[in-house]
Amino acid sequence: MKHLNSLNAAAFAAALLAAPTLWAATAPTALGLAPTTSVAADDDEDEKEDEWHLVAGGDVYTGTGAVLRGASILIKNGLIHEIGYDLFVPEGAGETDVSGYRVYPGLIALGATSRVTTGRFAAEDPTWAIDPLSDPDEWMTSFEDEDLDLPTVDQDGFKSRYIDSYDPFSPYMTLALANGITACEQSGAAFKLRRDGIEGVVMNEDTSTNFNMRGGSARQRTRDGFAGAAKYLRDMATWERRGKPKDDEPSTRGVDTNSLRVLRNELDATFFADDRLTLLAIARLAQDYGFRPIVQGCREGWIVADELGRAGALVVLDPRERSWNDPESLYESGSSIENAAILHRSGCQIAVRTPSASIDTSGIAGRDLLSLSLQAGYAIRGGLDEEVALAAITLVPARVLGIDHRVGSIEVGKDADLLVTRGDILHYETLVDLAFVMGKIAYDKNKELYYAHLQPHQIAADLEADAAAESEDGSEADDADGDTDGDADESGDDD
Amino acid sequence: MLFPSIVLGATVALAGSIDASTTEAVATPNLFALRVGTAETISHGTIPNAVILIENGRIVMVGEDLPIERGIPTFDFPDAVVMPGMVGSRSRLGLDGRAGTDITPELSAAFELEPGAKVFGDVLELGVTTLGLYPAGGGIPGVGIAVRTKGSTFEEMLLAEPTNLSMYISSNESAKKLIEKGFELVDKYMEDVAKEREKFDKAVEKEKDKKKKEEMVFTPPVPDEKALPMLRLVTGELRAVIGMRKAADYLHLMDVIGEREFDWDVQANLTDDGDFFYIADRLGAAGRRMIVNPSITLHPGTRRERNLPKELHEAGCKLAFVPESDSVGGFRDLRADVATLVRYGLDRQVGLRALTLEGAEVIGMADQLGSIDAGKFANLLLFDGDPLEAGTELLGVMLDGDFVAGDLAD
Repeated sequence: MKHLNSLNAAAFAAALLAAPTLWAATAPTALGLAPTTSVAADDDEDEKEDEWHLVAGGDVYTGTGAVLRGASILIKNGLIHEIGYDLFVPEGAGETDVSGYRVYPGLIALGATSRVTTGRFAAEDPTWAIDPLSDPDEWMTSFEDEDLDLPTVDQDGFKSRYIDSYDPFSPYMTLALANGITACEQSGAAFKLRRDGIEGVVMNEDTSTNFNMRGGSARQRTRDGFAGAAKYLRDMATWERRGKPKDDEPSTRGVDTNSLRVLRNELDATFFADDRLTLLAIARLAQDYGFRPIVQGCREGWIVADELGRAGALVVLDPRERSWNDPESLYESGSSIENAAILHRSGCQIAVRTPSASIDTSGIAGRDLLSLSLQAGYAIRGGLDEEVALAAITLVPARVLGIDHRVGSIEVGKDADLLVTRGDILHYETLVDLAFVMGKIAYDKNKELYYAHLQPHQIAADLEADAAAESEDGSEADDADGDTDGDADESGDDD
Repeated sequence: MLFPSIVLGATVALAGSIDASTTEAVATPNLFALRVGTAETISHGTIPNAVILIENGRIVMVGEDLPIERGIPTFDFPDAVVMPGMVGSRSRLGLDGRAGTDITPELSAAFELEPGAKVFGDVLELGVTTLGLYPAGGGIPGVGIAVRTKGSTFEEMLLAEPTNLSMYISSNESAKKLIEKGFELVDKYMEDVAKEREKFDKAVEKEKDKKKKEEMVFTPPVPDEKALPMLRLVTGELRAVIGMRKAADYLHLMDVIGEREFDWDVQANLTDDGDFFYIADRLGAAGRRMIVNPSITLHPGTRRERNLPKELHEAGCKLAFVPESDSVGGFRDLRADVATLVRYGLDRQVGLRALTLEGAEVIGMADQLGSIDAGKFANLLLFDGDPLEAGTELLGVMLDGDFVAGDLAD
């Protein structure tokens, strides 16, 4: 049977020619060939109106130490524009009145499973378009293809399989947001938990590299790597001082690239270690070569806290770790509830992680990602300062992921990732009422089904009541300055 | 089986209305009138005491209590409800083929068709008069065809080819790449055209003879068969049906197609934990047509029931229904499933329209079928009551003006 398409190919070309208007209409928009396209896009950007939103009247726990009672946060296009009192609010700005509530920076979860941004409660079937009964071979191979999807980074920045499988509507994401997590580490990349789109959700995917210091030979190899990298940097410096003579540039042959990047401060070095001796070795390596290690685990860190502190370590720990001391050892060993507090006193930065990185409605309650703030509470029980415990699930994990310039605290210029709660975020009874991500409400406890029945908040109800009152009395809504305070000329006072 | 309550005219020798109490098969002449208790026209509502004038397999006139010219044979069904034949706009019935996940827009469902397969007769008995068939495979597997559900040869069955181009998107890199590569075929052809144009312009410049210069005509290169359906898409000659499973797939699709503009419908299998309600407002704002199964589903992670088709419709989407399972059994349950949605709040007319006219839109044949309107094929279903009522019987299926299934058929 001859296919009709091929028969009509010549006719199509002729039709193309005969319809110049269609041609002209199609070419620039659909095919992006005409130079006018980019100009048009720029124009669009200029015309795009700024989006303003005010989170008004809450007690703002900035995460940097300061608490501003009854302060407001003005958000412009998803970023924190201003924090303070009596802010000038531009016309048309949205407002969420959270007076009587607390406002915290969004929490950041380290080591989450990939489910958070991709999962569904229902079983995933990537091969839905293929019928397994009629196409058993194809059905099988389609699974293999999925595994071969390797991350790629293009010139525009981060574009990888992580973003290509991101699901802003994943129920796990709702659960994570319900427990205050607005960003998480997943498969080595830092994700923003956005619910309204997929643009810019991967914040960093090249944050750190792992080194192994467990066991004598591994320790020697790692040390040799750093020694070689340090020698190369010394040789480079000498060569540069000599005016970069030709033919004499030091060779990178045999130099460990990862060690080199760490010493050049391009990449963080992560070590997984729990026992005293390995932790000591890491601390000394870091001191010798002058970098700040990220130490994951760190169960016996409290024993060698001074050395880790001197190395300026960022410690990622689980405050609820339980292991007994070794009665035959001459040294102290095992876990301590005071681990986080002691390490912090010695100069380490503390990030808290959960015992289990999974997330589910049917997991072991109190141990998975949904209990992040609770874990920080355990560190307080061990003597850690409350402020530091908050930083341990906000600012310090942001530093660990290299995204602290964007998230981790409430500061002007940072992403407006905010939590609204009725009580202390670290208290076990506190539930997240609202979560803002990039200035937009990504989670509203009253509207999602998971916790709606527990202590419903009054924020949205107030908003709805306001809206109803306004619609009854239309004149109130339309001051000359666009707000509802009755002051018609305040906009003239400002620039 | 006998239906004594039905009054119909069997003898066409007598002119005018016939009041013969027979349940024999009805042989329709070339020109005749059908008088029914109720007509669900789809395009302009419900008409009581409707008269439908049919000539040469097409509807000529529809109206309430139209006067029938002396001499035109009339068939009276005073208790019957008539609606257009159902359009199964996305089906693989009677197709036999397998394909991988690839970019093959040049392939057609016609290659897989087994004309006269028994299954077509089976769904015709259930009131499906038109099927939109689509090719096997993932990625961009090819173009679909529209067929009558009767006929023993390809030519007898074929209504239209191509109807639409199938594509599949899901939230992963490989699926997105396939769609991107499909559109790269368009870009490449456009580059070829630009190059040829440049050559042509140079040739025109070189030509010194004024007369010859005026006679020169630019001929764009003939696109290869792979690129052709993609080009048709961007020029608006062909529409696409894009299959997706969840709301996030839509966002990833928008990420891939970016600024490109073309007509497309969404095909989605609504399952429990389906989450299209998250993007209902975006789909609705675009007036997107959703080809879905008429099923009540559960809110993700809960046992709370949702009427997603209703929500999508209220957001502004158009709806076309396909059975939950693409099989004879699926088509058997189709009307009952729609009835359930109507019971749970979907507008009844929207439900009927989703079975007929919107399906015709999907296969680009809305000017030919899908509603009871002058000029359209006389594809009609005769029921003894409300088509969505569980106890209602399908008395007869008319295809191109002939009763071809049901007790009224030969």
